[in-house]
Amino acid sequence: MTTATAPTAGDRRTPGWREWLLLAPMLAWLVTFVVVPSAILFVYSFCERDELGRVVFDFTGENYRRVFDPIYLRIFARSIGYAALTTGICIVAGFPVAYFIGRAKAAWRDRLLLLVMVPFWTSFLIRTYAWITILKQEGLLNALLRSLPLGIGPWDLLYTPTAVLIGLVYAYLPFMILPIYGSVEKLDGSLIEAAHDLGAGPLRVFSSVILPLTLPGIAAGTLLVFVPAIAMFAITDLMGGARVPLIGNVIQNQFLQARDWPFGAALGVVFMALFAVTYWALLRLGRRDEVLA
Amino acid sequence: MKLFLPLRFVIRASLALFASVLPGAAAELNLFGWSEYVPQTVIDGFTRESGIKVNFETYSSNEELISKLVAGVGRYDLVQPSDYAAELMIRQKLLAPLDRSKLGNLKNLSPDFVGRPPDPEGKFTVPYMSGTVGIVVNTDKVKVPVTSYRDVFQARFKNRIVVLNDNREIVTWALLSLGLPMNSITAENLKRARPVIAEWVKLVKVFDSDSPKTALLNGDVDLGVVWSGEAAILWNQNKKFQYVIPAEGTHQFIDMLAIPATAKNKNGAHQFMNYILRPEVSKLISAAFPYTNPNAAARQLLSAGELANPASYPKGGQFETFRDIGKMASDIDRLVTDLKSSK
Repeated sequence: MTTATAPTAGDRRTPGWREWLLLAPMLAWLVTFVVVPSAILFVYSFCERDELGRVVFDFTGENYRRVFDPIYLRIFARSIGYAALTTGICIVAGFPVAYFIGRAKAAWRDRLLLLVMVPFWTSFLIRTYAWITILKQEGLLNALLRSLPLGIGPWDLLYTPTAVLIGLVYAYLPFMILPIYGSVEKLDGSLIEAAHDLGAGPLRVFSSVILPLTLPGIAAGTLLVFVPAIAMFAITDLMGGARVPLIGNVIQNQFLQARDWPFGAALGVVFMALFAVTYWALLRLGRRDEVLA
Repeated sequence: MKLFLPLRFVIRASLALFASVLPGAAAELNLFGWSEYVPQTVIDGFTRESGIKVNFETYSSNEELISKLVAGVGRYDLVQPSDYAAELMIRQKLLAPLDRSKLGNLKNLSPDFVGRPPDPEGKFTVPYMSGTVGIVVNTDKVKVPVTSYRDVFQARFKNRIVVLNDNREIVTWALLSLGLPMNSITAENLKRARPVIAEWVKLVKVFDSDSPKTALLNGDVDLGVVWSGEAAILWNQNKKFQYVIPAEGTHQFIDMLAIPATAKNKNGAHQFMNYILRPEVSKLISAAFPYTNPNAAARQLLSAGELANPASYPKGGQFETFRDIGKMASDIDRLVTDLKSSK
């Protein structure tokens, strides 16, 4: 999602042709890849379809009526639940990692960051199949459990909601670590020392100094994880056994299986509206914090 | 793999656009076929002999084929619809009539696969491979006989079942188990099937159309309802995987080769069809994807072991094929989506 930053008070100059020329590549990009596709989606969402699934330009509100059918509302709610849980786990698991990397010696920092990015060198799909090899009934994890004298297992993990969560957290964890790392790196160490000198314990330092100062990173990470996690459909198919549809699966189905593009488009539009509202709310929340601070 | 198709679709589309502006490009054939269905050796053999480069793009459902064919007019020279999709395409005039004088090898086809609906005169389609949908059982794990859909979907098999992730299939099994005809999808019949499907989806562990054999091989499930070709591969790997035609009945699918009306290289498409119909080529397809081969001359070249595979060549004669159900596809999708998400 893209937004322009709000103009500040000292920035009242009207832009001339040079400024517009400089902006042109970005505007062209926005129009081609954001405005036009969204407009097509919006128009399609009010259309009907013929037998072959071709879009017919007859105006109807039927698609939106269907979106608010309890079936799809339930699926929306479940998708948001999965995405929220994924985001929560990513924050809890990603923060210590990001903090550790951000506070490491400069020489180590780059190497550690590289390790976070290494998975991106392999196709996402191949990494998901690797997880199937680990989690399956006769897979690596259960083999390990069997060989240990702990008396636990074998675990039935693959094709369960747990597997979907593992897949989602695995896929999006780097997107949480990197922005938090950005905040941690900028964190002034003398502030932490000062807090200690003033008698704050570790918990207090964390909650009163570290957390507020890294909040922008957490907020950016939340956006980067939450938004794509809602729409993910590959992981639910491959690791969840396609048992419980999330909204991404439903939309994909409309375009490929049900041959109902207008309904798929309506789901997409409602989805975008949902994001816009969330983003706007987050932004307002952020502004109020700034004022309070 | 279907998940990457959208991306590949975009890349291919842009490449095609690029190629179309280049003058005098070498002879090419754009084949749009099922994933896991056309062996690379066959494609390479055709290119070696004819000098025609084959661009092979895949899909994993008939609905996907139709969507993309309609969206990308003129991009494909040869497609591979199943029976009911071919029916819709013929009715909508999306297919070009065949020039049978260029298809001398049609004589190799078994009479069982000639003159069937939806193309009784063979004007538009050539059968590629055929198969059924049936029950596969890991007999090491399941010691009781399983011979019908009702036997599969029992509470004792909860979380031990894999089925095709195909809503029309699931609805068809429910209709058959109720003794209803599978090709009359009416609101009334769907209503009767609904409670049956609601029970069934609760018991299933994996929905997978691309490679349902994987969950069975990995030991994550013990039985399922799958494509016969998948069951045949399982049987080849281990005889513990038994294939059974469900007692309530099943459907047969016949996948065809056909030429879109807007194809640019119709001549090359005919050449490819005729090449595929050669017994020694068709035999290679059977070896890689052991579905039912409609080519009688090719069947004579198959080994006794291949012919004895109960999933490739089940007993019980012919079964009905799917017919086009038009917009009811959307009602089926809605029904199954609803039931899957309400458990």
